[in-house]
Amino acid sequence: MKKVLGNKAAIALFVVPALILYTALVMVPVIWSLYYSLFSGSPGLKWEFVGIKNYLDLFRDKNFRNALMVNFKYISVVTVGQVGLGLLLALMFKFWLKHCKSFVRTLVFFPVVLPTVAVGQLFAKIYEIQPHYGLLNSFLSAVGLQDLVQPWIGQESTALWALCVMDIWVAMGFYSVIFYGALLDISDDILEAAHIDGASGFNLFRRILLPLLRPMIITSLVFSFSGTVKMFESALALTKGGPGAATKSLSMYMYDVSFTFNKVGYGSVIAIVIFLICVCGSAIINKFDVRDD
Amino acid sequence: MKKRVIAALLTALMVTGLVAGCGDKGGSDAGSDASNPAPDAGTAAPATEETGDDAGDDAQTPDEGGDAAGTADFTGEDPQLAKKVKILTIWAEDNDNGILLNKICENYKNEVNPNFEWEYEMVAADQLQQKISTLAASNDLPDFFAYEAGAPLVTLIEADKIVNVSEALEEIGATQYINEGAAELMKGLSGTEDLYDLPLGLNAEGFWYNKALFEQAGCEVPKTWDEFEEVLTKLDAAGIQPLVTGGSDKWPATRLINAVAVRTCGNDIMTKTANGETPYTDAGLVAAADTVAAWAEKGYFGEGITTVDMNTAGSMLMNGKAAILYNGSWFTQNLADESQNPAGKDGIGFFNIPVSDESVSSATSYSMNCGNILAMDKSKYDEATAWFLKYFCENMGDLAMNEMATVKGYTYSASAELDPYTQMVLDAINESTEGFAWWEAKMSSEVSKTAQENVQPLLNGDMTGEEYMQSIQDVHDMQ
Repeated sequence: MKKVLGNKAAIALFVVPALILYTALVMVPVIWSLYYSLFSGSPGLKWEFVGIKNYLDLFRDKNFRNALMVNFKYISVVTVGQVGLGLLLALMFKFWLKHCKSFVRTLVFFPVVLPTVAVGQLFAKIYEIQPHYGLLNSFLSAVGLQDLVQPWIGQESTALWALCVMDIWVAMGFYSVIFYGALLDISDDILEAAHIDGASGFNLFRRILLPLLRPMIITSLVFSFSGTVKMFESALALTKGGPGAATKSLSMYMYDVSFTFNKVGYGSVIAIVIFLICVCGSAIINKFDVRDD
Repeated sequence: MKKRVIAALLTALMVTGLVAGCGDKGGSDAGSDASNPAPDAGTAAPATEETGDDAGDDAQTPDEGGDAAGTADFTGEDPQLAKKVKILTIWAEDNDNGILLNKICENYKNEVNPNFEWEYEMVAADQLQQKISTLAASNDLPDFFAYEAGAPLVTLIEADKIVNVSEALEEIGATQYINEGAAELMKGLSGTEDLYDLPLGLNAEGFWYNKALFEQAGCEVPKTWDEFEEVLTKLDAAGIQPLVTGGSDKWPATRLINAVAVRTCGNDIMTKTANGETPYTDAGLVAAADTVAAWAEKGYFGEGITTVDMNTAGSMLMNGKAAILYNGSWFTQNLADESQNPAGKDGIGFFNIPVSDESVSSATSYSMNCGNILAMDKSKYDEATAWFLKYFCENMGDLAMNEMATVKGYTYSASAELDPYTQMVLDAINESTEGFAWWEAKMSSEVSKTAQENVQPLLNGDMTGEEYMQSIQDVHDMQ
C-alpha cells in the first residue's frame, strides 16, 4: 500500500479523474456564473456585456438587501434551532427515555423523510385562519387566548418565524439521530468517572459531553448552515415568499431575477453572493474547531 | 505479481468507464443517425419530395423553418405531412383547455392526417414564464405553448421568437375563424398591429355574488361604487362577510384595485402608466389602492385574507361564507359543478364592475381577456404545422362549444345547451362595447411582480395606497 501511495503516478491516477469531475461539476458552473455576471439580460434574449454594472446595482437594490436580511434572520434562528433542539433530543434519548426510545426516535425522525411540499401544506393548515381556524388558532381560541388568534403566515410580523418553526421541526430529528450516535460513542467509564468526581446535570454536559461532542456539533452546524443558506422550497411551499417579501430569501430572489425578470446576468451576481456566504459561513464555523493537539 | 496485474486491469477498466461516461453525446448520436438514416423522412410517405427535404432541413437548421410554409398552397387537401409537434401548457390533459388541445390533435390525426403526432407537456401556471424564458434562451421553444398575453409575450415578439399569427392565418386562409373581438383584445395587449398569439378563451371579469346573502341583508345589485359601498356596509351590519378574494394568489387582489382605478381614471389608465404618460403615483390610482386597503381595514375580507387562495375564496362564496367575489368567467366551471356549488343553478349572480362616472368609463365596458394564450415557435413553424394550424382554427370554436359549452375566441356554428352561468357570461360579453385589461397586463415582469407582491402588505395595512403605488413607480423608473 505504501508503495502505491508513494508513487506519484498512482496518486495522479486516483485523484485526477475525481478532480476532473469535481472541476467540471462544481468549478465550471461557478466560473461560468462569474462570466455571466458581466452581462445583462438573458442568453439569447437581449444579451449584452455591461462590465461590473450588475455588481454596482447590487448595492442599490432594496429587494436584495431585504432578501439578505431575511436570509440572515432565518439562518441564525433555524441553524441554532435545528442543532440545539437536535442536541436536546439526543440527550433526552440517552438519559431520560428508558422504554419507548426507539418509538420516539422514529417519530422525531419521521418529518425528515416527508416531502417539503407536504410539510408546507400541513403547516399551512395548522396556521390557517380563514375559512376555518387551523390547529394552532383553534387551540388558542379554546384555551381562552382569543387575542392571540392571528393569521400567522399572513402577516409580516410572524410569517418568517412561523416558517422557522416549520423548518426546525422538519430537521431536528435528523440532527438528534446524529448526536445520539455520537453520545453512544462516549464511553460509560468517562461518565462514571465524572459522576464520581461530582459532575452531574448541566456541569456534566458542559465539562464532559460538550467538549466530546464538539466535532459533531461543528459538522452539524456546517450541515445546517449550508442547508439554510439555500432557503427556498420550504418558503415557497408555505408562504410563496409572502406576505409581500417577508419570507423571500436570496435564492428565491435570484430565481425571480434570473427566470421571471430575464436578468440572468444579475441573477448570477446574486448566486455568487450566496456562494460567498456559504464559503465564509462554513469557514467561520470551522474556526471554532480548535484542535487539541 | 498477480495482484498487481489485477489492480492494473481494474484501474484500466475504471478509466475506460469514466472516459466512456464522459464521452461526447453528439458522437453517439451521430452513430445512431448513421445506422438509422432519417427515420422521419422515411415515414413521410405521402409527403411530396419538396416537403421531405423541408423536414430534413428543419431538423438540421431550425432557424430556417419559419420560411418553410412560405411557398405552399393551402387551398386544397391536407397533404398529410409527417410531423410531431410539442405542446406545452398549464392545463392537465383532463382539464379545461388541456381536454380541447388533446382532442383537437386527436381529431386531426384521426380525421385528416394520420402522420401527425403530438407530445403534450404541462407545467404549473406560476412556473410558465420561467420555463418559457429558459426554453427561449436556449432556442428550444415548443411548437405550441401557452403563455401570458401582454408584456411577457411582447418580450418574445421583440426577440423574434414567435410566429406572426396574422401573417400565418392569412397565408393559410383562416383569418375569419378568429373572433374579431378576441383578436382586437390580443393586439391591444401586445401593442402590435399584427396578431402574435391564438386565443384560448374569451373571458369577461366582474363581481360574483351570493344571492341568498344579498337577500338576507336586503341588498340590491349595485350599479355605482357608492351603491357598492352601501352594499358592503349593509352586509357587514348583517353579520355577513361582505368580500372575499384570493389574497395568497395576489392577482385577485390587484384586480380589485384595477376595478376601482379603471372606473375612476378611465379604461386606458394602465396603458398610460405603462407608456409613462401618467405616473403610477397618480392621485386616482393611489385613491383606488386606498379604497381596497380601507375595505381590508374595515374587516370586509375577514381575517388573514393574504392566506386565502382563489379556490378557497370561490368555495366560500358558493358556500355562503362570503357575499361577493371578483373573478373571471372561467369561474362558471366551478359554478356549474353541483358537487362544488351548493348554491345551485341560480344561487350566484354576476354584475359588472360598478361605475362612478359614465363619461370616464361606461357601464358596458368590461374587463376582458383571452386567458392564457397560445403562441408558436417561429423556428419550428413549417408547412406541416401550418396545415395543423388551419385545422385548429377551423374547428376549435365548434369543438369548445360541443365539448365544454364554452367560447374560446373562435367562430363557431355548433349550438349547445348552455348552463345558466355560462349564458350569463355570454350575455355580458355580447353586451360589452369596450374591453379593458387587467392591472399588470402592460407591466414588465419586474413591475408586475412588485405590484402583486406588495398588494399583500397593502391588504395587511403595512403599506398605504401611496406607498404601494410608489413601490411600483420605483421599479418602473429603474427599468
